[in-house]
Amino acid sequence: MKNVIEVKNLTKKYKELKAVDNLSFEVKEGEILGLLGPNGSGKSTTINCLLSLLNFDGGDIKIFGKEMSPNAYDIKRKIGVVFQDVAVFEELSVYDNIDYFCGLYVTDKKTRKKYVEDAIKLVGLENFKKFYPKQLSGGLLRRLNIACGIAHKPKLIILDEPTVAVDPQSRNNILDGIKKLRKDGATIIYTTHYMEEVEILCDRVIILDKGSVIASGTNDELKKLSSTKEKIIVEVMDLDKNHIKEINTLKNVAQVTYKDNNLTIAYDKGKNNIVDLINYFKKEEITYNNIFVARPTLNDVFLELTGKELRD
Amino acid sequence: MTVFKAFLKVLNKCKIPIIIYTVILVFFSAFNMQTSEKSVSFTASKPNILIVNKAKEEGITKSFINYLNKNSNVINIVGSEEKIDDALFYRDVSYVIYVPENFSQEIIAGKSPEIKVKTVGDYGASLANMMVERYLKIANVYSDVAESEEELVSLIDDTLATKVDVKITSKLDSNSIEKAAFYYNFLNYCILAGTIYVICLILSSFKEENIKKRTMVSSMSNKKYNTILLLSNGLFAFVLWIFYVVLSFILLGKIMNTMHGLFFIINSFIFTFCALTIAFLIANLVSNKNAVNGIVNVIALGSSFLCGSFVPTSMLPNFVLKIAHALPSYWYIKTNDLLKEVEVFNVETINPILTNMFIIICFSIIFIIITNMVSIKRKGKI
Repeated sequence: MKNVIEVKNLTKKYKELKAVDNLSFEVKEGEILGLLGPNGSGKSTTINCLLSLLNFDGGDIKIFGKEMSPNAYDIKRKIGVVFQDVAVFEELSVYDNIDYFCGLYVTDKKTRKKYVEDAIKLVGLENFKKFYPKQLSGGLLRRLNIACGIAHKPKLIILDEPTVAVDPQSRNNILDGIKKLRKDGATIIYTTHYMEEVEILCDRVIILDKGSVIASGTNDELKKLSSTKEKIIVEVMDLDKNHIKEINTLKNVAQVTYKDNNLTIAYDKGKNNIVDLINYFKKEEITYNNIFVARPTLNDVFLELTGKELRD
Repeated sequence: MTVFKAFLKVLNKCKIPIIIYTVILVFFSAFNMQTSEKSVSFTASKPNILIVNKAKEEGITKSFINYLNKNSNVINIVGSEEKIDDALFYRDVSYVIYVPENFSQEIIAGKSPEIKVKTVGDYGASLANMMVERYLKIANVYSDVAESEEELVSLIDDTLATKVDVKITSKLDSNSIEKAAFYYNFLNYCILAGTIYVICLILSSFKEENIKKRTMVSSMSNKKYNTILLLSNGLFAFVLWIFYVVLSFILLGKIMNTMHGLFFIINSFIFTFCALTIAFLIANLVSNKNAVNGIVNVIALGSSFLCGSFVPTSMLPNFVLKIAHALPSYWYIKTNDLLKEVEVFNVETINPILTNMFIIICFSIIFIIITNMVSIKRKGKI
């Protein structure tokens, strides 16, 4: 598969602060690349540099094999961007907004009409065509924002946290839409804070921190980077310190935390550690309510790699 | 076409303020026309007087009473002094003249007869008083030269019968020009408020940070996009100006077909261009839609008050006029006021008008330069 985006040694400084530090990555045709990182990690700066909205201090950016620049309109024609903040005209209806932004790329009236209808269908706004943005809920507004960004059927779509503050129904609709766009052949860069979205959508993930790539790979490849192999969470009342100490000495246990009646045990090996734990509870006559086993998440990987929660 | 279509749709949302500004303009212009009609109209009126004649009605006395009869409405009230007082109280008469018994003899003798009068002190009474004094003065002049009473009566009557024909040589319809100047002075507010309000609102939508970003990443060139926006705004200002000019033809009529009308139109065109440049500058400085209303009020209302758009400049204090020199509205209104005084258009009269217009153009150039400086400074900022 061809590379749609090639970024080599990208560096962007704000005075002394390096917002992006020698960043290199590629995006392959037809894949969905997840760009993860806490606030200030350099995600938005990287995207703005990709789109030539910002000048950068070093490195190369090639999109569709060509050097990207502010006047590279042939490249821009193939790119669709959905920014984090909703960017629509309050004075225009849903249909007119999509038609306007599509019109910046597609001049043929007939083609544009079809594209606009397709975009409305994709995001499920068929019943809101004549509505004005002020009349839409937050979720519907986000859907409109996406429709405005992808109506011209771009080959490369950049989605910057498109599901922030969206109700579950709209989120599902948006995620289904993104899957459909990929099915139609689009290459997608997707930034988000929601791990479950990354796990559902992305073929590959790049984790950024302080402007650099700290890890990249598929979901499974990244999870393998975590030292935690299994996690057991138990709801248990009034556990004393001695019990916690003893649990710490159980086989394969790497870390024990007890907070708000929730006991969380991280194991560095093994798959069936729950048996040993239940036996210990029986022996000590400890009563518990809920117990469940969890696989390590990308957040665990992120936490281990950066020492921060993704939402920090 | 896409950008222009969106421009028109956004413009459509701004129509209410434009309608309000126009209604205010029409209302005040109509009101002004009404009041100025009254101030120039003349109605010849005769005072209501009562003559109580104690002399014999012959000779000079007869001439005097005839003169009063001719130039006033003589009311006939028969009865006591009480009735006369009632007539004065109820304003049935304004002036009562008691012609003394020795009226003729006193005049012939070159003396002023002692005429008793009663007056309500109104305008009618003053008019009657002036008539009496005029008669007595003329009689006094001729009493020395006339050899007989008949000759004296004849001289007085001839003099009083003399009429002076006043011919107005000026073709200037000052009343209509006054109205046109009022309309075009008031237009200062409408054009400023209309262009600044609409252009700032439209540009704040198109230049909103996120929409701007979305436009910058699109395949439409930035230059083309900005040119379309610039031309669209220019077209709007032009159409607004045309609308107000057409309205002036409807409201003011014939005067607009004269040289005065032509200069009012040219002046307003130059000022509209200047207002457009002001609007661009403000739109570049202000991106908050909520602030637009306040800014329109400060700039449009402020300069209209300071420069004499609502109140004649003659009524404004000197220090206000000195400040107003720094505003283009002042030069626009000054030109309109100059046009009121111009009777013949020649180099001498046109020169100061052209100078004022040139000053407005200079203001426009300054605003364009500042706007460019601001947008260059803001370029590249996301």
